[in-house]
Amino acid sequence: MLKDRFDILLGGLLLACAALIVGLLLGGGSQASQRDLAVDKALEQEIAYQAKVSFLERLYAPVSELRTAGQNEAALLKLDELSRRYPDEAHGELLRGEILLQLQAIPEATAHLARAVRMNGDYVDQHSPLSRRDLFEQLLGEQLTVIKSRAKKNPSATALQAALKDLYYLQGRLAGGCE
Amino acid sequence: MIKCRLLSVLLLLLPLVACQSPTDRPVMKIGYMNCNSEAETLARFKPLTKYLSDRLNIDFQAVPVDTQDFPERFAAGEFEFTHTNSLVYVIMRENQQLELVATEKRGNYGTHTAGAIIARKDSGIKTLADIKGKRMIFGPQLAPSGFLAQYDLMLREGIDPELDIAYYAIPSGSFKHEKVVYGVYFGQYDVGASPALDLELMTKEGKITADDFVILGQSPIFPYCTFGARKDVDQELVKAFRQALVELTQADTVDYQGEQLKVLASAWIDGFEALEDSDYNQLREMAKRANMPPYQEF
Repeated sequence: MLKDRFDILLGGLLLACAALIVGLLLGGGSQASQRDLAVDKALEQEIAYQAKVSFLERLYAPVSELRTAGQNEAALLKLDELSRRYPDEAHGELLRGEILLQLQAIPEATAHLARAVRMNGDYVDQHSPLSRRDLFEQLLGEQLTVIKSRAKKNPSATALQAALKDLYYLQGRLAGGCE
Repeated sequence: MIKCRLLSVLLLLLPLVACQSPTDRPVMKIGYMNCNSEAETLARFKPLTKYLSDRLNIDFQAVPVDTQDFPERFAAGEFEFTHTNSLVYVIMRENQQLELVATEKRGNYGTHTAGAIIARKDSGIKTLADIKGKRMIFGPQLAPSGFLAQYDLMLREGIDPELDIAYYAIPSGSFKHEKVVYGVYFGQYDVGASPALDLELMTKEGKITADDFVILGQSPIFPYCTFGARKDVDQELVKAFRQALVELTQADTVDYQGEQLKVLASAWIDGFEALEDSDYNQLREMAKRANMPPYQEF
């Protein structure tokens, strides 16, 4: 079939071209699949995040309903009940902090809010549906000077000293600082 | 012969020299208000008392005291230090200038607590106005979060506990606060005056659920159980006593009857805080409005 050197050279070139085309096709395909994989991963993360937010909303719906009805004390009891199944859950910590703030238990509220942020930074992320930046800014505006002055006046008051540290921590996180 | 006698005398003196420890230390008494029973009070507070003795090198003795007897026995000079509810602290502060040492932390509100008025969720009672003409159960009369807070709350809502409800009762014996909750739960009473802390603990322990009751009203928060010192106790000792309490952590242990016990956990306490006497003003206002000791007028 290959009669002379020209045929051999031509055959070799044809094979090389075919190999190149196959190589290009395969290479392009793998880049595309990598791109697809990256898209899939981002999508999965987004879906998982939305599912988590939706789960938290469903889980703590009874607490939210009681708060809306002005039943903060009953909402705390509901949280106590839920905390038996989900101890040390960040959103429960956040809600407990919010309720205690409304009930004027300021050092305890601050401790729970700071703990929630330590467990989940989404509460200070302004793009997150879980964001509570406004609440933290309001808390700092209303309480930082008061707690600072009370802690200075009463250095033995460990809860006040701890509350002051927590307020500084929240202030730092709002300013963009990390753990 | 003389040598023998000398040896005998030395042998007799030896135990006295060897037993320098607790008996040679100054002795002071801490009066602990009974919550349920003397046995429970001593079981809770003896390890803490031992810890304070070791830390301050004083032989503190724990004395269980009934609530209603406390102010009188304190006035008679029976105890150098006191551990009582915040209303009994206010009474002794007003009458005998008891000095504030530290306030106990327990539950959601930390150093503070509150009183709630509850009804069964299926009772049809939805607001405080609905309790007129109903049967009610209170906690003991000197309990700030089991009686005073709710009594004051009702007065502020225009309900006179002496005139506007069918009748009210106070349980006898121990575990009065739990009896209030169960009294309402099992339908013997329509409405109950429960400390917020007891509702919280009973919910956490699974004895009740949050859906069993409707909270018709809750008082503002005010300080919880309190350590005090008699006015003639040395100020340096009071300061050291306070410091020992506020520095206690959940990890601190005491060697008690051959066991290493966690001091705070044994006493069912989360910690201590150095509050100011002015933090008790909320409670004072409640006592004045409810015409209760130490501001009672006839």
